[in-house]
Amino acid sequence: MAAYFQAPTAYSRTALPPLAAVSAPQHLVPPSDTSGTIMAITGVGFTVIAGDARRGDAFGAYPQVRFVPTVFRLTDKAVLATNGFASDGNIFIKKVRQRLDWYRHAHAKDMSLHAIALLIQSMLYQRRFCPFYVHNILGGIEDDGSGAVYSFDEVGSYVRETCRAAGSASTMLQPFLDSQIYPKSSQPPTPGSATHLSLARVLALVMDSYKHAADRLSHDQIGDGLEVYIVLSKGTSTQGLNIEGVSEVTSIPGGERIFLLRRSLA
Amino acid sequence: MNTFVQRFSTTGALSEARKAKALAADDEEFSDAAWGSEAGFGNIANGVPTFAVPAVPDPSAFLRLHTDDHADPSCRIKIQHGTTTLAFRYKGGVIVAVDSRATAGSYIASGTVKKVIEINPYLLGTMAGGAADCQYWETYLGIHCRLHELRNRERISVSAASKYLSNLVYSYKGMGLSMGTMICGWDKTGPAVFYVDSDGTRLKGDLFSVGSGSTHAYGVLDQGYHWDLSDEEAQELGRRSIYAAGHRDAFSGNTCNLYHIKQDGWHFLGNFDISKMHYEGPGDVPGSFGKGYGYDIRVEGRSSANPPPAAPTTTVTA
Amino acid sequence: METSFAITGKGYVIVAADTTAARSIVKMKTDEDKIKTLSEHLVMAYSGEPGDTLQFAEYVSRNIRLYAIRNLYALRPAAAAAWIRRALATSLRSRKPYSVNLLLGGYDETEHAPKLYWVDYLGTMDEVPFAAHGYGSYFALSLLDRYHDPSASLEEGLATLKRCIDEVSKRLVVSPGTYKVKIVDKDGVREVEL
Repeated sequence: MAAYFQAPTAYSRTALPPLAAVSAPQHLVPPSDTSGTIMAITGVGFTVIAGDARRGDAFGAYPQVRFVPTVFRLTDKAVLATNGFASDGNIFIKKVRQRLDWYRHAHAKDMSLHAIALLIQSMLYQRRFCPFYVHNILGGIEDDGSGAVYSFDEVGSYVRETCRAAGSASTMLQPFLDSQIYPKSSQPPTPGSATHLSLARVLALVMDSYKHAADRLSHDQIGDGLEVYIVLSKGTSTQGLNIEGVSEVTSIPGGERIFLLRRSLA
Repeated sequence: MNTFVQRFSTTGALSEARKAKALAADDEEFSDAAWGSEAGFGNIANGVPTFAVPAVPDPSAFLRLHTDDHADPSCRIKIQHGTTTLAFRYKGGVIVAVDSRATAGSYIASGTVKKVIEINPYLLGTMAGGAADCQYWETYLGIHCRLHELRNRERISVSAASKYLSNLVYSYKGMGLSMGTMICGWDKTGPAVFYVDSDGTRLKGDLFSVGSGSTHAYGVLDQGYHWDLSDEEAQELGRRSIYAAGHRDAFSGNTCNLYHIKQDGWHFLGNFDISKMHYEGPGDVPGSFGKGYGYDIRVEGRSSANPPPAAPTTTVTA
Repeated sequence: METSFAITGKGYVIVAADTTAARSIVKMKTDEDKIKTLSEHLVMAYSGEPGDTLQFAEYVSRNIRLYAIRNLYALRPAAAAAWIRRALATSLRSRKPYSVNLLLGGYDETEHAPKLYWVDYLGTMDEVPFAAHGYGSYFALSLLDRYHDPSASLEEGLATLKRCIDEVSKRLVVSPGTYKVKIVDKDGVREVEL
């Protein structure tokens, strides 16, 4: 009797989970990297998340579009920056926002930052076999009021850090950020906040980094607009924000506050 | 009668077809759980998670095209490869030590990676190969270890937990997962270490090291290891072995994270800077001999020169 | 490199397999038992693709056990070998075949004779007086052609096995260090130290 020898499900080789097919090009064209640089730094009670807004084409020849945002406000305490293949990035942001909307409708509150990090991990990993070609940096304020930066790889592994740069100028900017943010030569084992840096100082660091990276990199890599989101924990003073180009984008007053700074990199 | 039996039987071709249909109906990207409180881990809380695959004839070839940097150094996604991790069992429990470097090509993407995954208070997993693969599946393992606990009113054995992981990754064999991990813990049988990798290999043993720096770590570990190590000696051995790999292997380094698993679960013993260990030693910790591990520092003042005894002075007379 | 041998003799079959589990250039383990006891008078040495080997061996061993429980009578070596070969052959024609090579050694209590089957991952099977898998086979088969005696006593059989192991240690560049040796005869399965 053949049925006697049918493998029990646990041993069966066909127990692979059902795989949802997504449409992908039949001939394999590697998605192009449409460049740009993103960065996030966290200090005491605040987090700064920045990204430039120039997009090249697949051949990296010339800036095709001069203002495409790469940094997105998710909630009043969470901001997500994406870098990589712009079209994957846009769809990913859309998906994350949809999940956050659903959460808001189910629970009448915003998802906490570490939960968003976990959500992003599982959303990225769901596409393990057909990845989103995006590098994500999530910044914001945790429930305990501390600032946090989470950086992700394309398939969802993540770590909490104090600062992170990603994208075309990352190899140029990350060592510089390390030198400013970690006062000792090596990085601390536990990610926390850059306690010795004020908001004004961090903002200056970000803007100077972008300006000088734009001067050094070829024109298709970085340039045009710079968008910087500043997230303040409840009760943190706005000292350092009274500079040109800053506008508040907080949706619900009385909690964390979000500001947006727009600058030209020309 | 026959059709009646067939409709309700749980074995046989028809029921298999029925099951397949039920599974196929479930392949929408979002289950209802996504709406509610499971919005965080909704995907993996409901039994076997589902994954999107590209609709091409050979999905794993598609994936390899974009992720295999051995074949194509300019590929878009660089999976982290360099690592040193080690774990060993001795009379006082289990020592787990890892480095903290993540490399993408020749760029050090991070020096503060957590390569020990705290599955639960008495189980640790180490991370080598694809960072996301290890993080995701070991978190998933943690969920199922907890479910085992709730269903059976006792903790899962290290053996069972590691087999769960091994069977799971084996079902994805050939799809491009990459992980080499040690599942370590303390259960009814005492301290236990299992090596599990994405080939589907699962080995029970006393001592394992995984990653590009593992050969360097083995060199120190094998020579210093024996079952009756004291706690201090064991901790020092773990630390010293990771230092050796961090020193010699370009893809390992930065810092060493050290864990000790005893009967009451795991304890984090600290983070040790590898260059500091080279020059100054691990600092004031149990097992430390208070000196740098570096060769020049260890042999300072010693020499191999072997000059002949000073010849008796002879006066040359004309 | 993985190596396994098996030889039959007067009323017994000896099965030996190396005990290393290697990954890349590293020996991860040096005391791994790669011979599974399937029933009272049947053992199976397995080698091949890591992961596949153990999964297949466990799949086989549970099903052989299930048959014995259901029928209160274990499969005889010939029947077991035929079923295992069929499992491999079916797998070969699936999307993801098992890459596993086997040596099946058993004692047929009805015929009062030892049985040895050589099975490879393609589903090839043959009943043979002696057999080997892996790089060791390049040295051992000619040796056994010269020295094997189907009516040898157990001591002589073990001596012949020792010859094979010594030859492989002497000539193979990356030879395994230690072997596990199991004997099947009318009394069942037992392990011996060489």
